[in-house]
Amino acid sequence: MTREPAATSDGTSALAYRLADRLQRAQMRLAAVALVVMMLVTVVDVILRYLFNSPVHGSYEIVEAMLVVFVFHGLAAGFFRRANIVIDVIDHMAGPRLVMALVRLADTLSVVVLVIFAWAMLGQAIQAYEYGDRKLELALPIYVLWIAALAGMAGTILCAVVTCVWVDARARSGR
Amino acid sequence: MSPPVIGALGIAALFALLFARIPVWAVLSIIGFAGNYILGGAPAAFALAGTKPFDAASAYTLSVIPLFVLMGEVASETRLSSDLFKAARISLSGIRGGLLVAAIAASGCFGAVCGSSVATAATMTRIALPEMRKAGYDDGLAAGSIAAGGSLGILIPPSIILVIYAAIAEQSVPRLFAASLFPGLVLTGLYILVALFVSSYRPDAAPAAERLPLRVRLAALAGPWQFLALFVTTIGGIYAGIFSPTEAAAIGAFGAIVLGFSGRRFTWLKLMLAIENAVVTSCLLFAIIIGANLFAVFMVQTHLPDLLASGAEALNLPGPAIMALIIVAYIVIGCFLEGIGMVLITVPVFLPLVMEYGYDPVWFAIIVVVVVEVGLIHPPVGMNLFVIQAQAPDLKITDIYLGILPFLIAPLILIVILFALPELALWLPAVLYD
Repeated sequence: MTREPAATSDGTSALAYRLADRLQRAQMRLAAVALVVMMLVTVVDVILRYLFNSPVHGSYEIVEAMLVVFVFHGLAAGFFRRANIVIDVIDHMAGPRLVMALVRLADTLSVVVLVIFAWAMLGQAIQAYEYGDRKLELALPIYVLWIAALAGMAGTILCAVVTCVWVDARARSGR
Repeated sequence: MSPPVIGALGIAALFALLFARIPVWAVLSIIGFAGNYILGGAPAAFALAGTKPFDAASAYTLSVIPLFVLMGEVASETRLSSDLFKAARISLSGIRGGLLVAAIAASGCFGAVCGSSVATAATMTRIALPEMRKAGYDDGLAAGSIAAGGSLGILIPPSIILVIYAAIAEQSVPRLFAASLFPGLVLTGLYILVALFVSSYRPDAAPAAERLPLRVRLAALAGPWQFLALFVTTIGGIYAGIFSPTEAAAIGAFGAIVLGFSGRRFTWLKLMLAIENAVVTSCLLFAIIIGANLFAVFMVQTHLPDLLASGAEALNLPGPAIMALIIVAYIVIGCFLEGIGMVLITVPVFLPLVMEYGYDPVWFAIIVVVVVEVGLIHPPVGMNLFVIQAQAPDLKITDIYLGILPFLIAPLILIVILFALPELALWLPAVLYD
């Protein structure tokens, strides 16, 4: 569990942290539901296919749609918990100030990359809306999935920004 | 500046950023995006940055990742690993070094349902290490056997790293799972041989336990039937063509949950924890895959793999020499990079060269995974060694380093066997799918 920045002097930072915490929890639940749906739909599909020769209509597309929700909403929790894979060899060679500076650089670059992705995805989402493409079996408009993806990205960016700011707040308060 | 030079600079920048503690996903994304921007222009770079994340996150074939991760998380939360170790311990009683063998065998089996080396090493440390210490085993040797056994998790199917290789190299997951089975079993056997050899050479480090009656030893094998049920259903289902990898993973995850609850070894709280861990682990893997997809497009545009191939031809080096150089490169890179990042960064560069020399990409996948395994256990930075020390902080890291040394010979022997006898990896996929 990630600790709240209780010792930070910056009230805005603490408020943003609480907001991001709630958001990532909600997104985590959404991703968890998507994962369970993926699992259950596939299991039921296999059972119905082999026992009754009657698979779940559009099961592949349900899994694909749930995977979109799962990935883009689950990312928020990963960023909020700072669970990204890093090569931390330098931690054993550099002083704490340099390591902290590198952590801040990493956080800033992460936010920049996420924003580039979100911006680039927005253009693709608009195209998907204009073309009106749909999933073949479920007839689900593809742009709906883009909306889900962009919503997830927005939450992920917020979580990434908050963790970035929180490091700053911790650094200022000497923690 | 020519594209290959830009590619070489991109790779140099990639390593610089990785050592500067920038997350792997971000490094791959930054270098991939910047490279595509320079070589293809802004519209192409933004189009790729907009489509690659969505393509990866809506690919049915990749849904296998969170489902297998969930199966592994559930298995880790139940007592499956302790059942496996108990069965191996009892059935191997009376053999000098029996607990070392039990730890390796149980790790191999647990890795077969878990798919993660780190999780296997962490779980088996909690279960096997206290028993080995109680029985008077040398700390380093005990830790070495757990680290080595833990590394089997990424080779014995299902293996997340093979799924990721399949995605980046456009290979079939069932074919890779079939290819990895026999090398995984051979490596398990080699680790066991090393354990038995060291035990006989250093009897004080691995005492023999009292031999239990044959009836008791045979009866113990029935204990971990849940493992057998899960493995036969998932991997057997894939091999038999009954399930796709995604279906097998979903059934495996569901089966693990049902078995956990039915054996009263699982609670709702543990299920929630397993799901949360699966969400975080899988989504961050997806972030790395997205970055790797961008990086792979950049590598294609640089023609760097072609240049490597023509450079190798100009040097007149034979295939095995090229492969030996690649393996040495992997072992060196493995000192600094973790396994999945290493696969995603190196495969787009090396695979075209390997195929140019006529090697099978499925065979190369097994070589890559074995070399990644070496990276997981070789000092000074093998991840499994630190995982074990984190679980048992009173263990000295120097003891662990010494304990793992004899086991390092096993994967190297396997690599030699794979070169001499590629059928070890290629026979089963050919029988099942050709």
